[in-house]
Order: sequence, then C-alpha cells, then structure tokens
Amino acid sequence: MSEGSDDLAAPLYVAWQITNECNLACLHCIEESGPGKAFRDELRDDEVFAVIDQLVDQDVPYLSFSGGEPMVHPQFFAMVERACRHGRQLKIETNGHYLDPRNCERLSELGVKAVQVSLDGASRSTFNRMRVLGEFNTVVEGTKNLRTAGVPIEINFSPTRFNIGEIGAAVDLAYELGAYSFYTGRTMYTGNAVKTWRIVAPSEEQYQEFFSVLHAKADEYRGRMRVHFHEMGLLEELRYRLQNPAALLIVLPNGLVKLINALPFVCGDLRKQSLAEIWSRFRRAWHDPRVARFIDDLATDPRATSALHQWVHV
Amino acid sequence: MRLAKYVKFREEKFGGVLFETRSEKVFTLNPTAAAIVREIQAGRAEREIGRALKERFDGGDGVIETEVDAFIAALRLQGLTDE
Repeated sequence: MSEGSDDLAAPLYVAWQITNECNLACLHCIEESGPGKAFRDELRDDEVFAVIDQLVDQDVPYLSFSGGEPMVHPQFFAMVERACRHGRQLKIETNGHYLDPRNCERLSELGVKAVQVSLDGASRSTFNRMRVLGEFNTVVEGTKNLRTAGVPIEINFSPTRFNIGEIGAAVDLAYELGAYSFYTGRTMYTGNAVKTWRIVAPSEEQYQEFFSVLHAKADEYRGRMRVHFHEMGLLEELRYRLQNPAALLIVLPNGLVKLINALPFVCGDLRKQSLAEIWSRFRRAWHDPRVARFIDDLATDPRATSALHQWVHV
Repeated sequence: MRLAKYVKFREEKFGGVLFETRSEKVFTLNPTAAAIVREIQAGRAEREIGRALKERFDGGDGVIETEVDAFIAALRLQGLTDE
C-alpha cells in the first residue's frame, strides 16, 4: 500500500466554487467574491445537476462546495441532497453566516462529511475587521449549531498582520467549538489581497512566530483535533505540485476547470467537454511548458499571482 | 470489519485506491490488495478472506493468507477500518 498515483481513471476530489456571490466582502478574498459578484455566466440549474450526475457516474468519491458563499446558491440544498444521495463525501466551505439550527439539521440529515467554517480570529474586533460585513458572534453561534446537529466541523483560519497574533487562541476556540480539524497557511497575494496587501500581509517575523505556535498547538491537540498547516511558501508548493499533481479538479462557477487555484491555467469547460475528457486534458496540461514557466517566473516575480483571474487556456 | 466511515474505495486498472477523506490521504492498491478490499466491502469475515482469494492469487501454500493478514494489519494501523 502506497500513497499517490498519477494513473487514475478519474479525479479523486473535485473542489467546486458553485457561485462567486457572497454576503461578505473579505479583505483577503482570493476569489474577489462579494455582494453582486456572481459571474454573469454561472452554470444554470440544469447544468449544475448534470455536472453532479457526471461526478457520480465517474465515481469521484470526494467533493467540496465553496464560493463565494455556497449557501447563497439558490439550489444549494438540492445540490447537497443530489451529491450525498449517491454516496459522495461532501464538504461545505462556508463563511458560517447561514448556519441557523434548521440549516444545520438539514446538513446533518443529508449526511455531509464536514462543514468547514472560516473563523479568522478569536475576537470580534479582528474578525469583523477582516470579514467586511461579517459578524463574529453569528459565526460562533452557527458553529455551535453545527455541533448540536452532529455535523463534523473543520475550522479555516487565514492570517493577516492584525489577526495573526490570535492564532493560539483561535486554535483553542476551534477545539472548544467542537472542531475535529483546524487548517491554516500563508495568505496568498491574489484577489482582494492585491488591493489590501499593505493592510493584510503579515511580516516574515510574524509568520515565524505563527508557525512556531502552530507546531506547539499541533502537539497539544494531538489525538483530539488535527492542527494542519502549510508552512511552505507558494513557490515550493507549486514546484512540488508540478512534479506531483493532486487528483483534484477546481471547478469555477461558470464550469471552467482550473489546474490548481494558485495558477491561472484552465484545462477544460464543463459546458463543452465531459468530465472524462477534462480529466485527460488535466493530466496533459500539467506538462504544458507554460505551466512550468509560470512557476519558474514566480521565483523572480512573486507578485505574478495577482493575475490568477486572467485565465490562460492550456 | 468494514471500511471506516470516511474511507472511499475505487477500482482502477492497476488495482484500486483508498481515499481517506478526513486527512485527504490517498493509498494506491495493487490487484491483490484491491481484491481484499472488495471482500471486506462484501462483508466477508476476516478469517475467510485468504481462503476466498486463494484460487485467484495462487502464490503457494499460505502465501495469500500471509499477504491478507499483513494488508489488513496495515489497514488497521492507518485507521482505515472499523471493527
């Protein structure tokens, strides 16, 4: 038994940004989501369900729905129901503002694998500063509602220079709220962060302290909650992925399929090609010289990630 | 014994894959290992699996039983099964 394979018949994981619409306008949002920011050409309802059917037919075991805010999608619960009914393991990545008791009960009944809540801070003042239009107390209450409903909880934390000092308290809060997993890493220079970088970018010294706290917290919570963090920078991560592409497709709200979120390359369009065809294109696309060149260029120009939304078709 | 709740199995040309979706870890399986997982999914008792696979994977006396035992121990060690 070994890990990894580059010879799979279909992807193992599809991360689907089901809409770019969002009720918040976060300072660091890599998708530049926000109120009124849905793409004009997002997949229609019939197309959305046809994609889910293809994912089932291809036996893709694991899906995530994110956004924008996935829970504002008008077909959100119907999509969850369709995916879970066919035995897919489904994770919802949400900002946590729609987690009232009724919705949490429905998510539990439908059998989602987990709900990942973005909770970037252990205090209302830092959270609300970062999550423009957001409310810390609503997210905390929503996470408690998940716990009451018996839905497995993951917490995601995006560091900025003004919340990074709360990382230890944020991990403690995640555990208190009943999370089984806590994720974080470096904030990426793309999307809204390009405009707000001066306000949000942590210093290297802050990152050093941040990862030091995370190592200690990972030890402290071992066996009780998984504290998972990406310490390596984006360049190292992409160089690794170039040699070892994950069996993961990123689906955008309009059906375009990206190689990986941190690259601008698009390898297919679910409106025009089948999932099986896109999977073949995905594997070929990682060998396109433009991909390696883009990653090499990041070594001298790390700010090239600012243009990730200018898609390049490979 | 059965696969753990968050573990998914898919057959592949080379055998199969087990995907532990909580840790997002992927394990590739050769044809023998994939056949063992199929037997587990079918609900066959652990002690019966070696016997069931003996005809298909003939490696001499006791070889397949040893492989089955080792593989099931590895599954348990990785937390991929529930009893």
